Amino acid sequence: MSEIQPPVQGPVSATRATERARGLARYAADLILPGTVLVGVARSPHAHARVISIDTKPALEIPGVLAVLTPADFDGIELGHPDTDEPVLTRVARYVGEAVVAVAASDQDSLLRGIEALHIDYQVLPHACSVADALTLDQPLHAAYPDNVVRRFNAKRGDWQAAEQRVSTWVSGTFQTQAVPHAYLEPRATLVRVNGELLELVTGSHFPSVLAETYREIVAGWGAQLEVVTPDIGGSFGAKWEHPTHLICLAFAHRLGCDVAMVLPRRDDMIAGRTRLAMRIQMRIGATDDGELVAKETVLWADNGAYSAHGPAVTLAAAIRMDNLYRFSALNAKAQLVYTNNIPSECFRGFGSPQSAFAQEQLIDELAERLGIDPIELRRRNAVRAGDTTLHGWQVGSCGFTECLDAIQQRVQAHQHENPPSINSRYRFGYGVAAGTHGISNRGYDRRFDRALLSLVLAPDGMLCIESGEVEIGCGTVDLFGAIVAERLKLDRERIRVVLGDTATVPYGLGCFASRTAFFGGRAALDASRQFARACSHLAIEIGLPAKASIATVIDTAVAVGRTTELRATGRYEPKHVTLPDESGYGNTSPAYTFGAHACCVRIDIVTGLTNVVHYWAAHDTGRVLNLQRARGQVVGGVHQGLGFALAETTLVDNHGRLQNPGYLDDRVATFADAVPVECIFTSTFEQEGPNGAKSIAEPPIIPVAACVANAIHNATGTRQRRLPMTPERIWRSLHTEG
Amino acid sequence: MKTQLTLRVNGAPRDVPLSFVGRRLLDTLRLELGLMGVKEGCGEGDCGACTVLIDGEPMCSCLLLTGVVEKCEITTIEGLPAAFLTRFSAICAEYGAVQCGYCTPGIAVMAAWLHAGGTELGDQPISKLFAGNLCRCTGYQQIIEALTALR
Repeated sequence: MSEIQPPVQGPVSATRATERARGLARYAADLILPGTVLVGVARSPHAHARVISIDTKPALEIPGVLAVLTPADFDGIELGHPDTDEPVLTRVARYVGEAVVAVAASDQDSLLRGIEALHIDYQVLPHACSVADALTLDQPLHAAYPDNVVRRFNAKRGDWQAAEQRVSTWVSGTFQTQAVPHAYLEPRATLVRVNGELLELVTGSHFPSVLAETYREIVAGWGAQLEVVTPDIGGSFGAKWEHPTHLICLAFAHRLGCDVAMVLPRRDDMIAGRTRLAMRIQMRIGATDDGELVAKETVLWADNGAYSAHGPAVTLAAAIRMDNLYRFSALNAKAQLVYTNNIPSECFRGFGSPQSAFAQEQLIDELAERLGIDPIELRRRNAVRAGDTTLHGWQVGSCGFTECLDAIQQRVQAHQHENPPSINSRYRFGYGVAAGTHGISNRGYDRRFDRALLSLVLAPDGMLCIESGEVEIGCGTVDLFGAIVAERLKLDRERIRVVLGDTATVPYGLGCFASRTAFFGGRAALDASRQFARACSHLAIEIGLPAKASIATVIDTAVAVGRTTELRATGRYEPKHVTLPDESGYGNTSPAYTFGAHACCVRIDIVTGLTNVVHYWAAHDTGRVLNLQRARGQVVGGVHQGLGFALAETTLVDNHGRLQNPGYLDDRVATFADAVPVECIFTSTFEQEGPNGAKSIAEPPIIPVAACVANAIHNATGTRQRRLPMTPERIWRSLHTEG
Repeated sequence: MKTQLTLRVNGAPRDVPLSFVGRRLLDTLRLELGLMGVKEGCGEGDCGACTVLIDGEPMCSCLLLTGVVEKCEITTIEGLPAAFLTRFSAICAEYGAVQCGYCTPGIAVMAAWLHAGGTELGDQPISKLFAGNLCRCTGYQQIIEALTALR
């Protein structure tokens, strides 16, 4: 996050949160100056179609229309990270809403008229908007993948045959999870400022350094240079990475030599945005009579949508990550990622685990019931422990999983005691439990390295600048880095300025994903503070101050004698004990792992099928909690996103591949009126590797939610929910067929 | 002939070109008057990020045409009383009510309206009063706690 205001002379406000609450935060669209050229695109109305011809002349004749870009302007450029397969403007539309032609105009009215005036002829091709259809479609969506299967994963661990022989009870099921949009409040916005040959890309993304690295190669071909400026980001949850709008704006800015901007209306943001990967998961889990979880088999198909982005990594995570929660003897996972004519998918908070948890944690519950063991006790008996190396190669350091289970058991029992079951003809009450685990960063994300850098630079005015390529997407990173440095150096927070993600000044950073920023960036901040303090004591001696002079005194004196440039340090963190995972995902991919267990009490209206979550408990092992309010915020927010995924949110696509609910009214995200009381419990775990003992908390809270609610619905009604979202209609139907 | 439209925004007269008469108030406030605290989240009245006060009543500025409010007193987050904003922002920070912050200005305007508006709404639950403001980050709990403390 960059400081948007010009460098200030006086004190900056105490915290970023306060600035945001005053309306002073500046997101990309807020930085567009009057007179900026506006950009828009013509989108394909077809789910799959070849562009036969484009006539741009009628558009260019409209007063105010300044330029037009067609697919030919981006030949040879494909986007995506780490796999590239997405054109900037396409010659073959692979989903409804894909950008085909881009228009730049001096004002909004001319822009809309220009887009309407374009003539684009299509040859409509057969399309597939489900995995099943894509697997039988004789028309490959991408020439290199004749069967539309992007990737296949196989992960076999342990001695399956020996394990199978020990199983006395199997439970199995097929589960279907849906695509949901990230639905962040700030729609995608891109501004490109032109400064000679330098193009400044102003946009919120998870990884500005990587974005700059990728686009620099492309704009270098135009003879231009590029830097990324990171403004405040109005939420992302895994959506905002590379995007065609960036290169469209860069190309126009370079061609026209002036600032250009593109802000997606909410509707466009949803039809051409990204979604969570929908998955079909077949799973079976086998146990012994005395409740030892022995074997687990997973076969899953994931809907990649039209382009890949992080689809392969999410699919592999969904296939194996949740296995690490229990001490299985053998595992067998197969996953296929399939191209369809749906909106391109993307990673989304939880990275595949909310999908697989929906299957696994329901089956564990079924096993408990079949074996006559309490579901929390069954989990406790099989729980992964500190010091374990799991079958997938995770070396578990600190682990508070059983502590989480104990905590929710106690809460649920107390709640049951205070609220004895009531006999009611209309409402049924039930309790559910589910668990989850998550890594912190992923060594497999970038094959080169996994590290964070953070610089402390003393400005001539005496402000200490924190500079890093690790950014904030709303989790409180700015305030966390500020607090760590202020505490370590015993400096007033007002003397510290935080600049994140402005690539012209900050050191390279992989960015904010995989719940890594507080952990990796926090460690780098501690290292930078140590080095900065050392630099201060050296300088103190040279300028005649006592070696033990306070940092503030050294800084003030350095400003007075003009030696501020000597006070700078770059801290780094790069875990030593992580390993690059192999093709099947085997490896110690994170420096530490988080664990959690959730429980909830639901009330089902059997007349309407409506599920009300009456109370929710979320226990997390996140290491030492650095900021209780922030940690709670992540948990409560994650639980509510999970409740949306569980009960309401979905992308409705018609037979032609058109999104039927591109807006908040029809894709129903939780409102104030849907808020559920969430009790947050944090274990007393201390993680040796973490910054001040901490682990991470951004993604873990969403993982168990859908399974937790499904288990509670079963407890209340006796029906098993295999399909998300668990809408009133689906519950009602299941009550009338099974219940 | 009239070439300007005069609006009353945050207590002061502001002239905007007559061409803005048929544009959304949200665009006029942001693009012409530079009041960037007013956010666009959905453009169709679902999310409340663009909430402003029109003659003291909260409304979505994305659903209002500029010409319609010519004679009205328009208040954005920038025009809220400084003492209120200081207290509101301090409480938000204290209770962890802000994450990405994109929805917060709309909530601030709503809160200011309640704060100024007197007693008849005082007993209604916050979850009802703020049902028109969406937040995708927080799960609302800490906003409700902050707003309760503000009351």
